[in-house]
Amino acid sequence: MSDIPKRITLEEWGLRYEQLEKAGTCQPDYGGPLSRHIEDGDQRLLKLRYDNSAAALRLWNFLLTEEDRLHEARAAGRKIVGTMKDLGTVPVMAYCFKNIVAFYPDGAWWIPCVMELGAGLLQIADSLGIDESFCPVRAMLGAFVTGAHFPIPDMLLCSVGATCDDFSAIAQRLNGLGQPIFWWEIPHRRSPEPDEIAVNLPGGFSAPKCQVEFVKSQLERIKAALEELTGEKLDEQKLSAGIKKANLVRKYLAELRHFAFTAELCPMPALEMLIAEMLAIHFCSDQQETINVLKELLDEVTSRVFAGKGILDAGAARIFWVNPVADLQVMNLLEDCGGRICGTEYLFTHALDIIPEDIPPLEALAQMALADPMAGSSIDRADRICADIRRFGAEAVLISRIPGASHCALEGRVICEIVQEKFDIPILEIEVPPVIDSMRPSVQTRLQALVETVKARRQT
Amino acid sequence: MKTIIYTCPYVPAEWIAAHGLHAGRLLLDHAESDPALARTEGVCPFVRSFIGEVMKNKRAAGVVVTTVCDQMRRAFDILIRKCSLPAFLMNVPNTWQSFESQKLYIDELKRLSRFLTGLGGKLPSNDTLAGIMLEYDTTRASILAARDYLSAGRYAEAIASLGRDGPDKTLDYVTAVEPVIGGVRLAIIGGPLMRQDFALFDLIEQSGGRIVLDATETGERGLCAGFDRRRLHDEPLMELADAYFGSIQDASRRPNSELYKWLQRELASRQVQGIIFRRYLWCDMWHAELRRLKDFSDLPVLDIDTAGDNEMERQRTTNRIRAFMEMLQ
Repeated sequence: MSDIPKRITLEEWGLRYEQLEKAGTCQPDYGGPLSRHIEDGDQRLLKLRYDNSAAALRLWNFLLTEEDRLHEARAAGRKIVGTMKDLGTVPVMAYCFKNIVAFYPDGAWWIPCVMELGAGLLQIADSLGIDESFCPVRAMLGAFVTGAHFPIPDMLLCSVGATCDDFSAIAQRLNGLGQPIFWWEIPHRRSPEPDEIAVNLPGGFSAPKCQVEFVKSQLERIKAALEELTGEKLDEQKLSAGIKKANLVRKYLAELRHFAFTAELCPMPALEMLIAEMLAIHFCSDQQETINVLKELLDEVTSRVFAGKGILDAGAARIFWVNPVADLQVMNLLEDCGGRICGTEYLFTHALDIIPEDIPPLEALAQMALADPMAGSSIDRADRICADIRRFGAEAVLISRIPGASHCALEGRVICEIVQEKFDIPILEIEVPPVIDSMRPSVQTRLQALVETVKARRQT
Repeated sequence: MKTIIYTCPYVPAEWIAAHGLHAGRLLLDHAESDPALARTEGVCPFVRSFIGEVMKNKRAAGVVVTTVCDQMRRAFDILIRKCSLPAFLMNVPNTWQSFESQKLYIDELKRLSRFLTGLGGKLPSNDTLAGIMLEYDTTRASILAARDYLSAGRYAEAIASLGRDGPDKTLDYVTAVEPVIGGVRLAIIGGPLMRQDFALFDLIEQSGGRIVLDATETGERGLCAGFDRRRLHDEPLMELADAYFGSIQDASRRPNSELYKWLQRELASRQVQGIIFRRYLWCDMWHAELRRLKDFSDLPVLDIDTAGDNEMERQRTTNRIRAFMEMLQ
């Protein structure tokens, strides 16, 4: 069995899987060959390239079996809570309840990609008046209508206020179709004024104490609603324990990101790193297993780094990536073009930062919610990106625009300008639809140009 | 007198005026559109014009932007980087049912007050505020009373004048003589209109229709409720907040069910026969309501989207409105 790290196709994974099995690799109960997911209609998997480690196999299987877990939870009588938009805060609280499984229906935005539009979710959204001028998260509307991709939650919570209009409008459309939604508010995060008490938030932003108090009041409403749903009281001790557990996920991710973005040879592909980061948002419907999956991935990455092994050339252009992509294949494409990821801002950095453990737990969650990069100004977001560019030594920035997203048009400009003011590095904006096939040549050319520019600048 | 400019209906003009400043609600012009944003896909034309207008404005002492829509929230980021005009971003909650949201709105008015005093405004006494509120309330009532006597365009201009010029100069618009009758009774629903869009009212009248409900943000829907005269003297700021935050219904509210209750009431009471739905390209908040509105109402709905102002688009809009009117007549 070859232990040389490399990116392989799904077909190659068939052989690799047999090798791992023969070698006695242990797999969890959701394990198995990756190719079996094609039968579920996940056609895009055929066109992706994967890391060849057992850890990556476990990561992919964990991701691709989430729907099964949700159905099992429903069958076992557990309450399913759909948390929408806040990307990371409410699940930390929800998983403190014995009888709740929380997930993000927002995640349906990847279904058109993974199923190569085969699920028809975007057409359903079209028929409900939510056309392609909206962000691909409109697929969520179709998923609710078909009920085929996740069980309809027992309770739906949605954060509004300082969010993107696309999501807010789509959630309202869903509500208008008769789906009850518990709305809660995150105000636009602003800087404290001279006469206000300032609170330093996780991740480095700050906000006035009154805003933290406001969000705390919103979280108290959510806590009460979840207590009523389950009949279980959530005390401070339970919530603190839940925060500790969430922080373990975040600590593993911080180490993973550090190694993946700073090692001389890139130890883990961009695609697997993107999925690993996503686990922090709602633990893929199993918090403990998320910890196990990330631990194994971290062990793999650590061993590769110490062995001086990687999956890309040492000279790969070091790219900082802004915004998540609707088509996962683009992460492969960057590496095919000679780039590697050295820093990311996928719109949920607040789900990666350590939650304070030395303050009352609800206040800690309120701080986390307010630290959401979407809740504040584009200038704040750009400053954080700049700090991470410096930290990870990125040589260029790629801003991946989300088609139709209300925030992308204006914030992209601000981020570009601020990065250019602080660093003399190239910046490129591309737009990534759910399936990039028809645009692949032009996106590839642009990525190649970025990589070539980075490499040319090294010689000057 | 220093002028504070804004566009959002949740900014109470009375509060600015009570600080001794002139509240100037902008009626935007397509021609002011920020050229730097013209090449950027995805920017709402209204936001583009707002940024352009504020950048060019040499007379204002400050600008108030709100968080009601995401693009406006981000327009603030552009303004504070590119424009020397002092700018204030006011948090207007989307949720409205809870005490906390109402309190947040009031706290934001108090923070706005600090911004205004920083620009030379004077913190108003309750009596001063109550006096100003009374003036605005009286003028608003006069405009509303004159509705049936004015053409739709004139009525829209009267509302715009109150926002732009204040109560003193608005009454000139509402000196009407006899009721306007005839024409197919229509509602116009959507976000804010721009200056050029007022031509729509004439176009509709020339085509045999009449707007009897201007439910745009710049129209009647953007007007706050009448003040409770007793409470106005006892707790003017609370009354102001209730009248604005509590009564102006918008697509951005969560949930926005009250908007539909308001529409149901007004469409029925004015015997509306058809709806013109006016929206900007890239305005998700209103665009998402189009299909729901069609499902909600038994009335025919004409969708008029706009990406800006040009001859081809004007022609298209004219043709669509004429066809709609032919169908209704």
